[in-house]
Amino acid sequence: MTMDRRSVLGLGGAIAAGVALAPGLRLIAAPETSPGSVAASTPGKRWAMLIDTSRCSSDCSACVSACRTENNVPLFGDPERDIHWIRKVELRDQSQRKAPVSLPVLCNHCEQPPCVHVCPTEASFIRHDGLVLIDKHRCIGCRYCIIACPYKARSLVFYKTKPPKDTNPNVPIRAAGVVEKCTFCAHRLDEGKLPACVEACAKADKGAMLFGDLNDPKSEISQRLLKEKSQTIRPDLGLKPHVHYQGI
Amino acid sequence: MLSEFSAIEGRSAGFWKLLAGLVVLVLMGAGSFVYVEIHGHAVTGMNNQIVWGLPHVFAISLLIMASGALNMGSMSTVFAVKQFEQFGRFSAFLSIALLIGGLTVLMLDLGRPDNMLLPMIHMNFRSMFTWNVFLYTGFMTLCLLYLWTMFEYKQYKKLIGTAAFGWRLVLTTGTGSIFGVIQGREVFGSAITAPTFVAISLTSGTALGILLLVYTFRFTRRELDDRLIFGMRNALIFFLLLVAYLLVVEKFTRLYDPASYDVESWILTGPWAWLYWLGVWGIGVLIPLTLMFNRNIGNSVNGVLMASAYVVIGAFCFVAHTLLAGQSYPFDLFPGYTISSAFLDGDAGRYAPTLNELLLGLGGVGISGLIYVLGIRFFRMLPEKGQVPKGWELPWSP
Repeated sequence: MTMDRRSVLGLGGAIAAGVALAPGLRLIAAPETSPGSVAASTPGKRWAMLIDTSRCSSDCSACVSACRTENNVPLFGDPERDIHWIRKVELRDQSQRKAPVSLPVLCNHCEQPPCVHVCPTEASFIRHDGLVLIDKHRCIGCRYCIIACPYKARSLVFYKTKPPKDTNPNVPIRAAGVVEKCTFCAHRLDEGKLPACVEACAKADKGAMLFGDLNDPKSEISQRLLKEKSQTIRPDLGLKPHVHYQGI
Repeated sequence: MLSEFSAIEGRSAGFWKLLAGLVVLVLMGAGSFVYVEIHGHAVTGMNNQIVWGLPHVFAISLLIMASGALNMGSMSTVFAVKQFEQFGRFSAFLSIALLIGGLTVLMLDLGRPDNMLLPMIHMNFRSMFTWNVFLYTGFMTLCLLYLWTMFEYKQYKKLIGTAAFGWRLVLTTGTGSIFGVIQGREVFGSAITAPTFVAISLTSGTALGILLLVYTFRFTRRELDDRLIFGMRNALIFFLLLVAYLLVVEKFTRLYDPASYDVESWILTGPWAWLYWLGVWGIGVLIPLTLMFNRNIGNSVNGVLMASAYVVIGAFCFVAHTLLAGQSYPFDLFPGYTISSAFLDGDAGRYAPTLNELLLGLGGVGISGLIYVLGIRFFRMLPEKGQVPKGWELPWSP
């Protein structure tokens, strides 16, 4: 069978039209349930963290170590490509009037998360309890979320990895080419436990990290945020982050 | 009476050499893609601060030029500039070729290219990427239909050509808005980014069109009236002045705001300043304008070709600067503080592209080139003679 050029052009146009229209018509139906279904989360909660920097010292990185162990986060020895779910940041006042401050920075689980807004496949999503999570099976590795996040809280998995021997089976295995970040230890929250970093901070006798439910007005975090002075990172962006800091 | 259309013969040794060269480019790009797939993005120069590198620069440059390449078609169909009607087919087909090349690079640079169809299934309509999926596929559809109407159904040409013209403006606005809507990085997040992308698409698409048209006619020994190229030169000058205006307005507005002093002084004097001054302004705007305003050079076809080549390189530099400087600028998490961490907080992002990124990008150029060459070989895309209509005079010359 031979086709004349007119037919080739016509067929090309028809195929391109099909490709353009197919997504809109949803010829390939998307699953009805969202990755963070109500059953798997803690509905009615709004998790948040308060970090008292006056209790956080630069020589302590218990939160970072605990996070790496809990979430099987490897170190590749490549600072520019290592995965950081939480990191310790040292602050020095440019006017040198204030003492240096050391604090952990992690995903702020914003109420208006730009990473979720820009994600083309809804791989980044907000769970019912306000956690901002990533469905690794749906992430295409476009990295637009990394561009959009003002907290540098996301990392691309640059290297192919194998799960360590003492891997935590409760955490999804790592996939090269997808983006990942802090989950506030969603798997632990679902079991009624605190995030690993918060627990480690308390064990180290620091008590710099307080975690709780903002929807419960009697919770300690709600009370302290109401009564004590605190701030968030880059409040000017209007993202309503849920990691609060004191002592900066 | 304008000339008939015909496919090129494509029997010369030069044709086969060109084809072979383009196939080699495509194969090297494919090899590079496989290499990155096997080893992960760790073998690229990208890192957790510069997550879009050279492949994105190639991809976005090709996409911008795809939009701009439709200029000749739009000028004749929408604005009734009759002398460009003969290049309508060439123009629409070149747009399709560039779009396919750019999109291929974009998709092959994904962290998970095996999931590349997911944006078609799961859509987030707040994402500029989702909008761009529709804009790109819609643009390709319109270009194909436009081409079809130019071949067969001429009564619909005006309708489809006008729709394609409107679509391409929205398309490039969408591409520019990928950066324009980002407020979390100080260098991005400007309403003027999208119009600047549109203006750059007009310059680079016209310049690439001039280059390809002249060299295709020369290699196939077809006649091309110089006045047609000079008409395009005039359009190119106008578009370049538009780019210069937008660049100046953007800098003026930003430098007026004390909050932008740090970021702007970093852009104008920092590690990527050479790309801004030399690439965007020097190569992209000032040198080509100087060449085209010169009475001797501007009135020779070779002079216009040289200026066009500068414009294309300048557009590439503009995209590279937007992406790389935009991502390199250190995150200002705590204004008023100097910050440091194991995640290199407070440091400017570093990026040195690797060979495999270059080859992947060139692979996209190879794909576009291959589609173009095969297109003009098998379809009647080009007139046998490039002529000006009777009585038409060039309105202005330097």
